[in-house]
Amino acid sequence: MKRPALTACGSIEHDAHRRRFLQGTLAGTTAALSFGRMTVAADDVPNAITLQKSQKRVLFIWLAGGASQFEMWDPKPGRETGGPFRTIPTAIPGYHVGELMPKIATQMDKIAVVRSLDTGISAHAIAADLISTGRPKEAALEYPEIGVVLAKELAVRDSLLPDYVSFFLSTEGRRRPATGFLGGRHTPLMLEESMRPANIDLPQGVSRPQHTEREQLRELLSREFAERRAGAGRVGGYNSAFAKVRGLMQSDHLFDIEQEPPAVRERYGRTVFGRQCLVARRLLEAGVPMVKVARGFWDSHHDNFESHRELVPDFDHVFSTLLDDLHERGLLESTLVIVLSEFGRTPKINKDVGRDHYAAAWSCAFAGCGIKGGAVYGKTDDDGKTVVDGKANAGDVAATIYKAAGIDPEKHYYVGPRPVPLAKEDAVPIDAILS
Amino acid sequence: MLFTPQQATLRASCETPGILFGLCRDPEDGRLYGAGTDGFAYVIDPTAEKPIAEKKWRLHENFVSSMAFNDGVIISGGFDRRLVWTNVADGNPIRTIEAHDGWVRDLALFPDRERLVSVGDDMQVKIWNRQTGELTSTLEGHAKKTPQGYATALYAVSVSPDGKTIASGDRIGEVCLWEADSGKFVRRLKAPGFYTYDPLKRVRSIGGIRSVAFSPDGLQLAIGGIGQVTNVDGFVGPCRVELWDWRAGKRVFAGEDSHKAVVNHVAFHPARSWLIGAGGGDSGGILAFWDRKATKAVHKAKPKGHLQRFLLDANSEQLLAVGYGGFQIWSFRAKEPPAEKNPAANSS
Repeated sequence: MKRPALTACGSIEHDAHRRRFLQGTLAGTTAALSFGRMTVAADDVPNAITLQKSQKRVLFIWLAGGASQFEMWDPKPGRETGGPFRTIPTAIPGYHVGELMPKIATQMDKIAVVRSLDTGISAHAIAADLISTGRPKEAALEYPEIGVVLAKELAVRDSLLPDYVSFFLSTEGRRRPATGFLGGRHTPLMLEESMRPANIDLPQGVSRPQHTEREQLRELLSREFAERRAGAGRVGGYNSAFAKVRGLMQSDHLFDIEQEPPAVRERYGRTVFGRQCLVARRLLEAGVPMVKVARGFWDSHHDNFESHRELVPDFDHVFSTLLDDLHERGLLESTLVIVLSEFGRTPKINKDVGRDHYAAAWSCAFAGCGIKGGAVYGKTDDDGKTVVDGKANAGDVAATIYKAAGIDPEKHYYVGPRPVPLAKEDAVPIDAILS
Repeated sequence: MLFTPQQATLRASCETPGILFGLCRDPEDGRLYGAGTDGFAYVIDPTAEKPIAEKKWRLHENFVSSMAFNDGVIISGGFDRRLVWTNVADGNPIRTIEAHDGWVRDLALFPDRERLVSVGDDMQVKIWNRQTGELTSTLEGHAKKTPQGYATALYAVSVSPDGKTIASGDRIGEVCLWEADSGKFVRRLKAPGFYTYDPLKRVRSIGGIRSVAFSPDGLQLAIGGIGQVTNVDGFVGPCRVELWDWRAGKRVFAGEDSHKAVVNHVAFHPARSWLIGAGGGDSGGILAFWDRKATKAVHKAKPKGHLQRFLLDANSEQLLAVGYGGFQIWSFRAKEPPAEKNPAANSS
C-alpha cells in the first residue's frame, strides 16, 4: 500500500508546506494555523486534521516487573488469595475492578480487559521477551518487538519525526526494544536519562537561521552530487539520516511539557509516569506512530499491597486522564492503547506480604483504536489460580494488537527466503475485544 | 530476672492461616490473641507445652492490623477502616466504629487504659474514649502524599509511659509527636536513615517508619524500619533501628545489621538496656537485639517466619510474637548450668 508522505506533525500538507517554505515559495497561502511549531497553510487544514486523526498510532504502557491482576483487573474479594482491597463497580454492569482504580472504573466502557492470559513463563527476561515479541525465543532468528513492527507498519513515509519513541527512565528492569531481523535502522528513540532527547541542541554559537542556511547549503550540494556523480539512490540514505536528525531537532518542543497549559500539566499530575504520558500524548498527537511508556517497577515480592497502593492510583489517574484527553482531542479512535506486563502476580500471599511471579492466570487491558470498549474477555477460577474460560497466550495477544491496529497478523516479512508472519503461526486474535 | 538474648530459643510455635499482624494478651489468664489476613481472631495458651491455635471469631471484614486487650474486651483495628470492640467471653462485638478513611494501621491504649489512640491511612491520629468509643481528638500533621505525589501511609503509633505524649510514624520517614491532652503538635522528627523512596532504579517507595516505641522512662523514642535498600523489589536492605531524644529532636543511636529485613516492631526491654527489633525481608525473619552502644546487633535469632509484632511476658523472660504462619514463643531464660557431679559419690 502506498502511504501518503507525511511530516513532522504527520501530514502530507505539512510536508508540502515545509518544502515550500524551504524553497521560498510561500506565496499563495492566505493564512496560517499553528500546530506546535509547525505552520500549516489554512487551505490545507481540513485535510491535515482529517489525516492526523485517521493516522493510526499505538501507545504501549509497559508495567515493568509484573502488575498484580488481583489488585487491578481481576479482584477476588473475600478469598484467601484476594488481599485487602475492596472492589468497586464499573461502567460495565456486573464487572468490578479493584478499589484502587475508581477513575478507570468509570471509563470501562472505553476499555477492554483480557483476564485469561496463560503465558507460561514467569522469569522476568524470558517472559518480557515472550510478551514483547509474541513468540518464544528462537536460536535461529531474532524477532523484533511488537512495537518495532507496529512502528514500521504505521510509519509515515518521509516523516521527520521518529517512528518509535520509548521511555524507560527507571534503571531496573529496563529493556531496549529489540529490532530483531528488521535491523538497527528500526531502533527506537530511547529516552532513559530524561524525558528529552540528548544532544539535539544547536551547537554553541550557531543560531537557528545559520543552522537553516547550513542545511540548505548541504541540500544543494547533496542534490548536485546526486545529479552529477553518485545518483539519487546512493545519496538518499544520507539525506534520510540528516532529515531524521533535523526532524528530531525541530520536534524538540514535543518533549517539553512546559509548553502545555498549566491546567493540562496539572491534569496529568506531577508523577514521572504522568509527565511521561503527557509527553507521549504530545508525540502521538504530532504524528509519532508508536510510543512506549515503561512504568517501573511492579515486581512486588515484598509488600505487594503497599506497592500497589502507591502504583495503582497513579496508574488509575494517569491512564484515565490519558483516555479522556485522547478522546477529547478526537484521537482515541485512531490510537490503540495497550497495558501489559511480562506476567501477573501469584494468588498466594507470601511471607513478606508480597506476591511472586505468576504467568498461569493474569490480565491485560486495551483501549482505543480497533478495541471494543467494555469487553471483558476470559475468566479465572474463584481464587484466580487458573484460567477457566478464554485462555489466551502471548501469540494471541500479539495477533490481537496487530489486528486492532489494522495490520494483518498473517502478513509476512521475508528474512532471506524465509517467510515470517507478523504473529506466530498458531496465534489467534481475541476477536471478542475487537471492534 | 533472667534475660539473655544469646539464649534465645524458639520454645513453641503454632500455625494459623496466612499472616498475623495484631497481637494482644489477656493479663488475667495469660492467653494470647492474634489476628491478621483472614480477619479472624486466634487464641493460644502460651504456657502450654505444645500450644494449639484455636480459631475464634471474625473481628473484621478485612486484614486485622492491630489489637489491644482491656478487661475482657479486645479492641482491634482493621483494613476495613474500623475499630471493633469484641467481648472475649462470647465473641460478640460490643461496638464497631468507622474509625478512619483508610486502613487502620495501628492502635495503642493509654497507660491509664481510659483512652485509645489509632492511626490510619487518612494520615490522621485519632484519640478515642476507650469505654464509650467517643472520638475526642483528631490530630493532623502527617503529609497526605509522599513528596513525589504518591499515596502514603501512617504505620505506627505509641503512647509515652506517662500518657502525655503520642508518637506516630509514616511512610516518608517522619515521626510526629503530639501532646495527648491538648492535641498540640510538638515536633516532627525526620529520619532519613530509613529508606523510603527510590528515584532512580524503580521510581517507587518502600520502607518508611514501621514501628515506634517510647523508652520505659519516656525520654527516648525507638524507631524501626529498613536502611538503604539496594533492590526495591522488596526488603533488600539492612534492618534498622534508631533511638531519638525526642524532646531535643536529636538522634542518639542508630543500629543496623546486615540481615536484610524491615523491622516491623521495635521495643525496649523494660529492665535492661536492650532494644529489640522483629521483622523479616530478603534474608528471612529476624529477631535482633541491640545494646544501644554498638551499631551492629549484638545478637540475632532466626524466627520460623517473618515477624510482625511481639510483646514480652509478665516476667520479660519470654517473647511472644506473631507473623507469617502464626504464633511463636521465644524463651530467653539462661539455661540452668548442668548440676555438678558429687565427687564424693564418684569416689564411693
